Amino acid sequence: MALKFSIEGEAREIEIVRRKPRLVLRIAGREYEVAQEPSRAPRGRLRIDGRAVDYIGAREGTTSFVRLGGRTWRISAVDPRDNSAGLAGGSDIRAPMPGVIVSLHKQEGEAVKRGETVVTIESMKLQMALPAPRDGIIARLLKKANETFDKDEVVATLAADPVE
Amino acid sequence: MPSKKPPFAKVLIANRGEIACRIIRTLREMGVVSVAIHSESEADARHVGMADEAYEIAGATPVAAHLDGAAIVAVARRSGADAIHPGYGFLSENAGFAQAVAEAGLTFIGPDAQTIHLMGDKIRARAFAAEHGVPVAPSVTPTDDVGAFLAQAKAIGFPLLIKAAAGGGGKGMSIVRSADELAERSRIAASEAQRYFADGRVYAERYIERPRHIEVQVLGDGKGGAVHLFERECSVQRRFQKIIEESPSPGLTPALRARICAAGVRLAEAAHYRNAGTIEFMLAPDGEFYFLEMNTRLQVEHPVTEMITGLDLVRCQIDIAAGGPLPCRQDEVKASGHSIECRICAEDPERDFLPETGRILTLEIPGGPDLRFENGLAVGQAVTSNFDSMLAKLVVHGADRGQAIQRMTAALSDLAILGVKTNVDYLARLIKLDAFAKGDLHTGFIVEHGAELAPLPIAEADSDLALIAAALGSREFRRLVFDVPDPYAAIGGWRN
Repeated sequence: MALKFSIEGEAREIEIVRRKPRLVLRIAGREYEVAQEPSRAPRGRLRIDGRAVDYIGAREGTTSFVRLGGRTWRISAVDPRDNSAGLAGGSDIRAPMPGVIVSLHKQEGEAVKRGETVVTIESMKLQMALPAPRDGIIARLLKKANETFDKDEVVATLAADPVE
Repeated sequence: MPSKKPPFAKVLIANRGEIACRIIRTLREMGVVSVAIHSESEADARHVGMADEAYEIAGATPVAAHLDGAAIVAVARRSGADAIHPGYGFLSENAGFAQAVAEAGLTFIGPDAQTIHLMGDKIRARAFAAEHGVPVAPSVTPTDDVGAFLAQAKAIGFPLLIKAAAGGGGKGMSIVRSADELAERSRIAASEAQRYFADGRVYAERYIERPRHIEVQVLGDGKGGAVHLFERECSVQRRFQKIIEESPSPGLTPALRARICAAGVRLAEAAHYRNAGTIEFMLAPDGEFYFLEMNTRLQVEHPVTEMITGLDLVRCQIDIAAGGPLPCRQDEVKASGHSIECRICAEDPERDFLPETGRILTLEIPGGPDLRFENGLAVGQAVTSNFDSMLAKLVVHGADRGQAIQRMTAALSDLAILGVKTNVDYLARLIKLDAFAKGDLHTGFIVEHGAELAPLPIAEADSDLALIAAALGSREFRRLVFDVPDPYAAIGGWRN
């Protein structure tokens, strides 16, 4: 029995090896004996292979935030029906944060090279260029100058077939 | 100490976030009634809850509300406030606002409008500094005569740094390394300056390689008297914005410290500066320093000065604004120990410090002696792109720099802000660098140490442990593991 997670964008599977007498989990071939100790949210304490591991955790929807060992991790449960993981970013140019379009550097139908700026956006008083993820033809520009958008919204798309 | 009658009965804070909360704290100590303002979206904000009274300011955007000087003055009058504290940013360096406050019969807690006007224009401020014996870097201002501009620029020598006359925060700034890119870069900088500041004037000055950013905190009485409260070193910057500040600077000899602080006082005295202000300098590796600009307000990083001097700068500001004398003579200002501040920002250091948005799900604040966590945060609060990405400031004090670094390291490790990506882990890596410990700082520090500042690859870090913790916090996983009915599976899980 295994569940899929994505940690900072990398896929991982956690396998339940045994439940009793002690819970044993396997990640990428490494086995861990795990016990949970009482604690008060948001703090948690695990005993992993006999060693106490303290952390602070929070969850929103299927995403967990774990602060452990001086590092903050963002971990999402992956829906087994979702096959798109790892395939993202091919043809869509997405806004990394909410903001407003400053300028469009390309027109629909125009060819772009990978890394070339398609759109300049502004958010939190910062301007940034959104580059083409690959060589291609601009299929659609979904926003005009001065239009606003949300985080992860697609602002432009490339035509399906990359141009050689 | 006998209780004193407060200098004002009621003060409106024309700001938000951590600085509004920090000002309210001092007002409360002084027995002054505090009035907060907020945009429609901030009704539940921490500064609103902390203040004795709060008023909403309408605006097309949340920022527009905080920039509506006329509405803010009207609210101040309606609330019966006798003074306005502008904090930093927003209207704090707006001469027109200071003027409007005075004309409404209220006290502006800051310098007078003429001083703000003088120092707000970098070209004018540079000329004023030079006139009063404060060194400035050689510079040239572009004119319609492009040929003459190029010739003058070549005479100074490349690289040059282009800056906006009305600028700040790195907007309109650009480094030019050769003559052939000068005209085009100036044009771009001018158009950016026009967009941000409605003032397209730019100038180019000698770019100093590996400079330190050193600034001098001053208090002026408005009558030609001024004292300095030593310097702050703010060389650790990203995108031309400071993220770590400290006092004293590890890069100054006592003699150089005396010279640079004296230059700051000289400028404040010459300007008949009133209230708290900061004179910023570039310090070259050869020990020469050059006037950059004067900030006519409280700085974000003012707590490090408070930590080493024991003075409350907001209280000093209020007392001076009420017509009081300077809080101390120069020989009474004593510095003790070392203080460091880290700016905690919602941003992704691995993606060029791009601002991040989200919701604060968990906030665990470090405790301990000689530690301040300046913030306006509340659990559940949305972190939006409406305002600047700075969430909070972590400030520590130690007997010496080494102890301050240790204390900051521990505090950053104890701090947890979950739900939005922040630079906390990045700051922790930075503060642990050998080069930082050595005090070998310059404004390109972050770029120079980029490779060392990258996080460990996921496989080499404690990612398995984090995964196990996350899995055991998820209902689906607990159901599989413990095989118990759903309602009970939530026990021990985290709240959504």
